[in-house]
Amino acid sequence: MVGLSLGEQNFIKGGIAQDLRTDGRKRLTYRPIFVETGIIPQASGSARVKLGGTDVIASVKAELGRPNPSHPDKGKVSIYVDCSPTAEPTFEGRGGEELSTELSSALQRCLLGGKSGSGAGIDLSSLSIVQGKVCWDLYIDGLVVSSDGNLLDALGAAIKAALSNTAIPKVQVAANASADQQPEVDVSDEEFLQFDTTAVPVIVTLTKVGRHYIVDATTEEESQMSSAISVSINRQGGICGLTKRGGAGLDPSIILDMISVSKHVSEQLMNKLDSEIAAAEACDEDDEMDS
Amino acid sequence: MEYVNPEGLRLDGRRPMEMRQLRAEIGVISKADGSAVFEMGNTKVIAAVYGPREVQNRSQQLNDQALVRCEYSMANFSTGDRMRKPKGDRRSTEISLVIRQTMEACILTHLMPRSQIDIFVQVLQADGGTRSACINAATLALADAGIPMRDLVTSCSSGFLNGTPLLDLNYLEDSAGGADVTVGILPKLDKVTLLQMDAKLQMDTFENVMQLAIEGCKAVASYIREILLENTKQLESRRGI
Repeated sequence: MVGLSLGEQNFIKGGIAQDLRTDGRKRLTYRPIFVETGIIPQASGSARVKLGGTDVIASVKAELGRPNPSHPDKGKVSIYVDCSPTAEPTFEGRGGEELSTELSSALQRCLLGGKSGSGAGIDLSSLSIVQGKVCWDLYIDGLVVSSDGNLLDALGAAIKAALSNTAIPKVQVAANASADQQPEVDVSDEEFLQFDTTAVPVIVTLTKVGRHYIVDATTEEESQMSSAISVSINRQGGICGLTKRGGAGLDPSIILDMISVSKHVSEQLMNKLDSEIAAAEACDEDDEMDS
Repeated sequence: MEYVNPEGLRLDGRRPMEMRQLRAEIGVISKADGSAVFEMGNTKVIAAVYGPREVQNRSQQLNDQALVRCEYSMANFSTGDRMRKPKGDRRSTEISLVIRQTMEACILTHLMPRSQIDIFVQVLQADGGTRSACINAATLALADAGIPMRDLVTSCSSGFLNGTPLLDLNYLEDSAGGADVTVGILPKLDKVTLLQMDAKLQMDTFENVMQLAIEGCKAVASYIREILLENTKQLESRRGI
């Protein structure tokens, strides 16, 4: 864990109280975001997001599968996060497992909605191919390569970027299959469908330090937090998921206030992220043309 | 299957004695004491070094030398078919051990008694030769961390398919069932520190194949030296010397 002296702790807290943090940011300013897409050639889509010292990779892999019997008209999406020991020596062996599970479940909550898939940021019915028979399974893998706080927001952004980069092959279904047979599917390796990511929310984590809350906390700032709230918000300003972390209790009115602040912040983040993703995609396409 | 066509070209268009494109970058993880990315064609590995620092587990402390530890892990998306493997399966434990032993042999551990050096390697893309790529990345990361070493260990693999010795096998060639010789050398001292081979080979063929791998290691060594020199020059100019 971060070893901070009492003086350093007070410096961080005092800075946040005066709206001037140790790296010169204001309370509600993000570190510069850097997005790179298409970095894993084997995956259907991939992206790397750097947020200061935090560096995460997300990849999306699409595989053909069978839909869940209770939701025959929907595809399946699963999210797993792995914390590499390169980010923090304590993640060695099984050390990172707890954090990995916490991040995976928080992301599932924020992006996938309820069990039925309603309210999900990803439109699950667009993944269906033959109702009740064949659908796309999306496997989203996150990898934390370097960690300097605010992993959840970074992973959320990386997944959004990776989904925008995702190309799902077009499929032809043989028409003559009878009702009880598994239909034959012909996966095209030339034509791809782009994934619609306008509905994918961004995640904003507000960390409460002292009486104030900050966005995009570094590891040092996170060590001083009393509690944190992660809100995932879509383009329309709707809340898609919410997670509270940290032991200290929060007053309900403060929570509501934090949500409205995060909604305001999310608009800027969404725009910034969209332009970064578009720039990364353009860059990626240039590379492809060169090669 | 034909791994070398009549024109003498391999599946990915290389000549038998040609290596894949190398690319390396130093200092990719700001929090680590030393870090590097190493690419051999489509194989991409990231290594981070933490230390020398206080020993975390006192019972492992060595009073006359540094404790070197290594962990190898593969990202879920690194292979063609996505799979979710539990951490610490036998293959990664074995590779961790191999990397640790190879690196330990070249670190001047007696200069840092009662301290610990952690090497973490993470495979981002696997396309054959991950062992070699990991060792090369670890060497760069150790050099970036400023850890005293006897020499820069470098590694490269070679194989024997269709009666031809092949340098730097990719995944397809690696899984073809022929011999796969992974060699690690200390290029300046001209010593072999790592040698592994699966499958069987004639004695005299083995000599050729191993010699080819050693040549590969030397080529990697000169590339690594170039990258380190480039990095040092950049550091120099940033300091304004």
